[in-house]
Amino acid sequence: MAEGITLENVVKTYGKGETAVHALRGVDMAVAKGEVVGLIGPSGSGKSTLLKCLGAVIEPTSGKMTIGDRCIYDNGWKVRDLRALRRDMIGFIFQAPYLIPFLDVTDNVALLPMLARKPNAVARKQARDLLDALGVGHRAAAMPSQLSGGEQQRVAIARALINRPPVILADEPTAPLDGQRAVAVAGLLNDMARQFDTAIIIVTHDEKIIPTFKRLYNIRDGRTVEDVTAPNA
Amino acid sequence: MISLAGRDILHSWGKFVLTGAGLGLLIGVTLSMAGVYRGMVDDAQALLDNSRADLWVVQKDTLGPYAEPSSLPEDSERPIRGMRGVAQAAGVTYLTMQIAHGDADVRVMVVGAEMGEPGLPGQPTHLISGRQIVRGHYEAVADLKTGFAVGDRVKVRRNSYTIVGLTSRMVSSGGDPMLFLSLKDAQAAQFQKDSDAIVRQRARTAANPQLNPPGNPAVAQAVNAVQSGNTNVNAVLVSIARDADPDAVAATIRRWQRLTVYTRAEMEEILVEKLIANSAKQIAMFLVILSIVSAAIVAFIIYTMTIGKIREIAVLKLIGTRNRTISWMILQQALGLGLIGFIVGKIAASLWAPFFPKYVLLLPADSALGFVAVMLICTLASVLAIQAAIKVDPAEAIGG
Ligand SMILES: Nc1ncnc2c1ncn2[C@@H]1O[C@H](COP(=O)(O)OP(=O)(O)OP(=O)(O)O)[C@@H](O)[C@H]1O
Ligand SMILES: [Mg+2]
Repeated sequence: MAEGITLENVVKTYGKGETAVHALRGVDMAVAKGEVVGLIGPSGSGKSTLLKCLGAVIEPTSGKMTIGDRCIYDNGWKVRDLRALRRDMIGFIFQAPYLIPFLDVTDNVALLPMLARKPNAVARKQARDLLDALGVGHRAAAMPSQLSGGEQQRVAIARALINRPPVILADEPTAPLDGQRAVAVAGLLNDMARQFDTAIIIVTHDEKIIPTFKRLYNIRDGRTVEDVTAPNA
Repeated sequence: MISLAGRDILHSWGKFVLTGAGLGLLIGVTLSMAGVYRGMVDDAQALLDNSRADLWVVQKDTLGPYAEPSSLPEDSERPIRGMRGVAQAAGVTYLTMQIAHGDADVRVMVVGAEMGEPGLPGQPTHLISGRQIVRGHYEAVADLKTGFAVGDRVKVRRNSYTIVGLTSRMVSSGGDPMLFLSLKDAQAAQFQKDSDAIVRQRARTAANPQLNPPGNPAVAQAVNAVQSGNTNVNAVLVSIARDADPDAVAATIRRWQRLTVYTRAEMEEILVEKLIANSAKQIAMFLVILSIVSAAIVAFIIYTMTIGKIREIAVLKLIGTRNRTISWMILQQALGLGLIGFIVGKIAASLWAPFFPKYVLLLPADSALGFVAVMLICTLASVLAIQAAIKVDPAEAIGG
């Protein structure tokens, strides 16, 4: 199994003393490159907290995280520039697409490389190729407000893929979509994981797409339980 | 690189241009206020230039004739004319009054100038049509701003005058257009009493045995003649010989004539630092308030625009955009707003300047200064919005 992202005994406690909330109590996880896993759990179980730790947005109280052969956190030690780490190694897909309303579809996707001073033409070419691969190439010149929900979500996926990150985190990516389109987006993420050799972790409540995962992490009381899903596996 | 600010402005340019235009009108008012001050200084300088005088001789210990009343005998000019270094000297009177013209009143400064020989200080310059006053009485030269035309007849006190010539930019330090009369006519107008007053004064003279000794009516007649005549002027304007030193000539006049003498530089100081100093402070006050109001408006607009983009900013930060990039975007938008505002303001100020009753002088240097000030104000105003953007937590993009 190619090294994707791993967590070892990750603990996250919000606050201190009497009022401390133990959101994560020791999470272990390993997702290989090219693999898609689901992350489910009841409300308040710590899904969003885990996603923020995986996304290098908040620091765990203790535990270890690696991406590829790079150590990100190790019991209090952390990479110096988490912002640059997010930019280079992690793609994000949100519940709502959160596209930048004043940029057209191509530039929404090409934004990160352009901000990193890659020549605009090169970045846009890359973006258009990705949009083609995701089946929204014909909408490349449109503004986000002119797209359907499904199209917007595909553009958001293209944006997450543009830097070819080893890890992509998706937070309820199919929530606003109906059954058919939700399954289509889930299928697309599966294809992308294989095509771009990326580890994809999807937080979801969505019963419709749960059967599409080969592996499923179920989180309860801040601890992960690995379920190997039966139906399609 | 991509300009996030530019793209945002292009996307919502309507909102941007409207806000910029609103700000622009405010900036236009600010530029006009500065123009009003410059106009006042320029009016004062034009007044001094156009009088063609190098020295102003006025009543002892007064700041006359523009900033304080001054009165001195007409014949003070004669000894001055003979002094070394003096080229020409002529008495002038100044009197601001309302003159009926058609249905409206025009406020003018009536200038009495000696017309004896052409080119005497105090005579109208910048004649743009008609001719100078040549007859001793009942002719006048008016500034274009009065609205009079050559051939018009205007009434000053009890006498009518025919306009024979028109000048341009001949105004008082208060911006009132000038109406030139011959010195004699102007003196008559300035010191003329109404008929009732003359009747009453004659009665008083007749009743006073010292002024009207019984059996000698010639004394009363002489007294009446002295009382009704007037031979005073408000100042004597002196032009000096080409190679003479104005300060030296002024010193000579002071020594021999017991009069106060001002040089051109001193006169300018009196006008600018005493006469219009209060107006200048008033305008400075306005400029400060307008700057604060503009800053508040820009700050408010930029802040609301930023708060409206909090979600996008959180996403940008989450996917790894630098704080610097986001701050620069906000700053550029503030500067863009300032730029639109300045252009609109500059155009507006130029368009409405001619409609101001007083001269509004828009100096390029003032505009440049105004531009720098607008950019500084916009930079300051964006600080609040930038702080808000920096405080945005990238975790907000993920939610709970
Ligand atoms: N910033 C915070 N400060 C304090 N407590 C927090 C904070 N964020 C989350 N928590 C607590 O941590 C626990 C886990 O929250 P989390 O948001 O990770 O749950 P979740 O699984 O995403 O729930 P849901 O499915 O409702 O979104 C909850 O008890 C929550 O109240
Ligand atoms: Mg959650």
